[in-house]
Amino acid sequence: MTDIAESDWQPKIVAFLCNWCSYGAADLAGVSRLQYPPHIRAIRVPCTGRMNPKFLLAAFRQGVDGIWVSG
Amino acid sequence: MTMPSEFDQGIGPRKATYKPYAQAIPGGYAIDKRDRSPCTNGCPNHVNAHAYVSLIAQGKYQEAMAVILRTLPFPGTIGRICPHPCETACRRGEVDEPISICALKRFVADQVDIEDIPVPEIERRDEKVAIIGSGPAGLTAAHFLGLEGYESTVFEAQSVAGGMLRLGIPDYRLPPEVLDKEIRAITRLGVEIKLNTALGRDVTIDGLFKDGYKAVYLAIGAHKSMKLGIAGEDSKGVISGVDFLRQVNIGQLTRVDGSTVIVGGGDVAIDAARSALRLGADKVTILYRRTRAEMPALKEEVEQALAEGIEIHFLIAPTKIMTHNGLVSAIECLRMELGKPDASGRRRPVPLAGSEFNLPADLVIPAIGQRPHINFLSEIAGLELTRWRTVVTDPVTYSTGIDGVFAGGDAVTGPWIAIGAVAAGREAAISISRYLKGEDLLSGRDPVEFPQKNFVPIPEKIDKMPRAEQATLSMAERKVDFAEVELGLTEAQARAEAEKCLNCMSCCECLECVAACKAEAVKHEMRPETMNIEVGSVILAPGFETFDPSRYDEYAYNELDNVVTSIEFERMLSASGPLKGHLVRPSDHEEPKKIAWLQCVGSRDINHCDNRYCSGVCCMHAIKQAVIAKEHSKNSLETAIFFMDMRTFGKDFERYYDRARQEHEVRFVRSRIHSVDPESTTNNLILSYVDETGRINEEIFDLVVLSVGMQTPAGVLEMAERLGVELNSDRFCASNSFSPVATSKPGIYVCGAFRGPKDIPQSVMEASGAAAAAGSDLSPARYTLTRTAESPPEINVKGEPPRIGVFVCHCGINIAGVVDVAAVRDYATTLPYVSHVEDNLYTCSQDAQEQMLQIIKEQKLNRVVVAACSPRTHEPLFQDTLADSGLNKYLFEMANIRNHDSWVHGNDPGAATEKAKDLLRMAVTKVALLEPLKETTVEITQSALVVGGGVAGMIASTQLADQGYPVTLIEAKAELGGHALHLRKTWRGEDVSSFLKDLISRVNDNSRIKVHLNAELQEVKGFVGNFQSKIRITGNNGAKSTTLRHGVAILATGGRAIVPDEYLYGRHPRVFRWHELEDALEAKQLQDARCTVFIQCVGSREPNRPYCSKICCTFSIQQAVTLKETYPEMDVYILYRDIRTYGQREELYARARAAGVIFIRYSMEEKPVVNTDGGDRLQVVVKDHVLQRPLLLTPDFITLATAIEPFETKALAQLFKVSRNEDHFFAEAHAKLRPVECATDGIFLCGLAHYPKPVEESIAQAQAAASRAITLLAQKTLQVSGQVAAVNPMKCSACGVCVAICPFGAPGFNDRNLSEINQALCKGCGLCVASCRSGAIDLKGFEDKQIFAMLEEL
Repeated sequence: MTDIAESDWQPKIVAFLCNWCSYGAADLAGVSRLQYPPHIRAIRVPCTGRMNPKFLLAAFRQGVDGIWVSG
Repeated sequence: MTMPSEFDQGIGPRKATYKPYAQAIPGGYAIDKRDRSPCTNGCPNHVNAHAYVSLIAQGKYQEAMAVILRTLPFPGTIGRICPHPCETACRRGEVDEPISICALKRFVADQVDIEDIPVPEIERRDEKVAIIGSGPAGLTAAHFLGLEGYESTVFEAQSVAGGMLRLGIPDYRLPPEVLDKEIRAITRLGVEIKLNTALGRDVTIDGLFKDGYKAVYLAIGAHKSMKLGIAGEDSKGVISGVDFLRQVNIGQLTRVDGSTVIVGGGDVAIDAARSALRLGADKVTILYRRTRAEMPALKEEVEQALAEGIEIHFLIAPTKIMTHNGLVSAIECLRMELGKPDASGRRRPVPLAGSEFNLPADLVIPAIGQRPHINFLSEIAGLELTRWRTVVTDPVTYSTGIDGVFAGGDAVTGPWIAIGAVAAGREAAISISRYLKGEDLLSGRDPVEFPQKNFVPIPEKIDKMPRAEQATLSMAERKVDFAEVELGLTEAQARAEAEKCLNCMSCCECLECVAACKAEAVKHEMRPETMNIEVGSVILAPGFETFDPSRYDEYAYNELDNVVTSIEFERMLSASGPLKGHLVRPSDHEEPKKIAWLQCVGSRDINHCDNRYCSGVCCMHAIKQAVIAKEHSKNSLETAIFFMDMRTFGKDFERYYDRARQEHEVRFVRSRIHSVDPESTTNNLILSYVDETGRINEEIFDLVVLSVGMQTPAGVLEMAERLGVELNSDRFCASNSFSPVATSKPGIYVCGAFRGPKDIPQSVMEASGAAAAAGSDLSPARYTLTRTAESPPEINVKGEPPRIGVFVCHCGINIAGVVDVAAVRDYATTLPYVSHVEDNLYTCSQDAQEQMLQIIKEQKLNRVVVAACSPRTHEPLFQDTLADSGLNKYLFEMANIRNHDSWVHGNDPGAATEKAKDLLRMAVTKVALLEPLKETTVEITQSALVVGGGVAGMIASTQLADQGYPVTLIEAKAELGGHALHLRKTWRGEDVSSFLKDLISRVNDNSRIKVHLNAELQEVKGFVGNFQSKIRITGNNGAKSTTLRHGVAILATGGRAIVPDEYLYGRHPRVFRWHELEDALEAKQLQDARCTVFIQCVGSREPNRPYCSKICCTFSIQQAVTLKETYPEMDVYILYRDIRTYGQREELYARARAAGVIFIRYSMEEKPVVNTDGGDRLQVVVKDHVLQRPLLLTPDFITLATAIEPFETKALAQLFKVSRNEDHFFAEAHAKLRPVECATDGIFLCGLAHYPKPVEESIAQAQAAASRAITLLAQKTLQVSGQVAAVNPMKCSACGVCVAICPFGAPGFNDRNLSEINQALCKGCGLCVASCRSGAIDLKGFEDKQIFAMLEEL
């Protein structure tokens, strides 16, 4: 397995973040200035209970390399 | 400015500008500023030494120079010659030696070319000022006047500028080019220097005013030498010190031969001596009439002089100068001794009779002091002089008796240090500027005294380091010429020296933050203010401090790095803490493999401290820390808790304790600690302890955590005294059990740890209880100070094509420092439907909001996107602006380009900018699809239903009624009172029955409370604010039902003691349970008894009831004490598992032991066995925990402390859709944050139905429940979010999945048998949306099409 950090690959990752926990955690990561690669695009959801399987299919159809659902 | 973070217990650093902790309220940053730093305070000119030293430590030399120049235009000069009172004041001297502040100042001046610093843009003023004298006072005045825009002319009598700096200080101390450079820098500010122009000879004051000068500053210095007053003083070969130095400095005198004798002990004497040496003198001798200790010259200078070979003779005074051929040949002297102190405090030298001797001399230099040249001063009309011939001025403004004439420097003070003259010049500049503007000279210039007390403490562990010393010129080189002797500090030396600063003031006022804050929010000139606020009641919640364990020798907390307090360990464990959650021990940053917790440090202890109470929280937090530490540890971690009694008495605590033992394998060791000692070769610790059997054990641990107790801080005790609030014997706020949150002073309430040690849930309950009590007092004033926000009518935008406004925020440099904001802004213009784009420095600022409001109106925007920070913090603010402009607030979206972008991709600005564009595009796409949403307003029925007529229910009812709300109180039994009917006394001895009687009559007499006895709840419909409950009341004439409308409900259904089926209960007449003992005592049935046994934990803390009933230990011990006091001969045994007299109840336990009550501990595995001897006689066999042998007791009676369980809660839980815990107590929404609210809105709980608790806690909780209920009722209406689920009835297949899945009961079937969602109950989680297989439900504001659209723009 090649080290992603060393390769040119620029993955596209979508994150569905629960407003009440993970979205707040992502905010806190910012406040704490934790640095991470700039490949994630977050979509705020009111609760991961809102997650519809079709969202995942739509994201993959859109060509994303990974999906992160967190809540 | 970095210092130990208080929040991180000193383990991690914080800045002087800091947020006390992440969740702190208010959320803004604070600047920690203590008393003015001693260095700054000690400087006559208050040059901010602390700031420039700190900036040097950071390598910020330009900034350090700027700090110095704020008050001092001569950094290089003063940095070389100042006698540095700053260093005398420096607190580093208490550790080792003062910081070399003066040399650091010179270091900065050497790094930064003062002439390279740009001249600021100054608005020129017309008035010109004449300054007489170009010494430090005159030139400093010229400098600061120049900065104010005033041009000045400096008239100098000599041929060179600089005054004493130039003429009085030899070049080897201050090279002339250094001074000349600094003078040139001053002349850039519109300052002209006229040399060879003397006052009185070339110019006059009147003449200057006639020439158009509007003010005159006299800074002529003190250049006239004082005379020795001895014979031969006027001979050839005698020259005064200042004259000698002047002649040397201007090059008139270039050679000295033979023997030179200097008279005096000041700097001039030393300077003259060292200069003479450099000019070729064969021998240089200084005569001083006192001893070295009294010598006023700089210590370093004296040392240098001695090193260079100059002789100093002490206790010698000249009496005559002898001549030969008209030239000086010798000096006659007398030896002296020190007598009584004189006016200066120094001991006066007294001549020794007959000690005359002669010293050969070719040159004699008297250097015993100077005063101003006054010949021309005395001719100036209106100028007042002192008898020392100095000029009289106002001490603050330096104005003289002549209008427009000011004076300062040595001419006013007499000879003083240069920095004093600089200070005078700076003050004069302020006065002259104000004079010329016609302002009051005095206002705001009262001298401020800094008490010099409140400094950042000196760290306990600090390495002593020597003071940085400058390299000096070799002795051989010194005698050749006047080359500078001191060569300055190297950069490495300077940085290291500056880093030694103790940061006394915390914030050093470098003002870098003022420059950095684009919003101009930092105001250093703010001062403490005293405000008077009119209030109707006061609530005290000042909290506690943890016990400082340093005073225990046996724990060696100060000596051993690996002994930490529990609160330090808490920060070490925290994921957001200083170790980022990676648990390592302090000494070597290795992961610990074995950790011990020592309990009761500073609690239950009257030997080391005065804290006899139990702190109540430490057992639980030690268990929690042990469990979490194990979870954090990658390798196997051993944990052991050393304790006396394990006190897990709170709700669900015992279960946690069980799990820690059984699942997490935390070891619990019942013991007493003997000592903690270091292991000789490692950083490990040897713990010696005595176990229950009395055996001494030793065990080695990597880390020891001291579970420190709570106590009231000294400052809080002082506050209590100021307020006149009584304290109890444990130094907590005194209160009684029946009004737990009231203090001794009416109108002042108390909550939290100041009312006794307690945990968060109890503190939060008390806080709400205190709010209720205060609210009752304030009830008539409700709504008198409220204002209603007005919004314009909503504009209908339906059917309009989207017109989107995009606002991109710089957030100062927070976003703009990484993301190319202009590029993002320009990109926004390319997106569909965007009709307005702009960028703002701070989009959230007040003016930006007003601008946004105008733009929405002018541009007729119907959607808004803000690309800034997090919607979690800022969405409501922008939504309000939308509402104020008439737009529906849901037509809004944020792109989080700060927290999710600039802050986390700071090292990749290009990618961050691209990400910002992506996030913005997604937001714009979504906002275009958003629709106006309607918020539902629900009326709240202004009344409450209270279920349960015990103490909790009655207190809640009276509290609600007192605040004006009608209450219906239903009780299942035929009388009010509940469990308290059986109670006689509280643990403090207060009479429960009279309290109860009074409470019942208050309830019955209150017209707002309607009581239904023999009543039961049959049906509950509705939701928060709108409940309809059906109550069935059984009366004499049969049962009838009534339906009641209410907005809230409080569940206070109480509890009861179980009836056990063990220990012969019910089978033997003298085996009692709880209050049956009191009944028997009252009936005098026990007078002849000689022995009694209490058995604790009957039915509690057992597998089928794994919780502690909390009140039993206190109850039994109280009974035992009463028995012992009434029948001293009776043997009283208490058989227990852990004694849980938490908090101040510990006092009762101590009293019982003192009274001779015998405590025998048993274990779950070996419970006591109760039998009879075959006949009537009771026998108890229990294994003694110390002897480890069975004991046979033959009590006359036995009392069982049986478990407390809730009354039937199941039916009520179903009616109100609230949950219960595993032990059937009602469950609160959140144990800590919402301890009296059920998860279902509008339902509250209190009393024994929540958990067993003593009456005072029931009362506080009932007050809290009422308080929380009133926060709902007082709103009158409820605004329900528009972001809720909605069913499309055309698609609904009535499968019922949504109804089943919703945790809040929002969906239900309507009369058409289709699902319908009650907006008031919907929390907008979307669970039903995702579960609807017909696709009939969508979530407004997070609709499928909106999320799909965002995904398409990825």
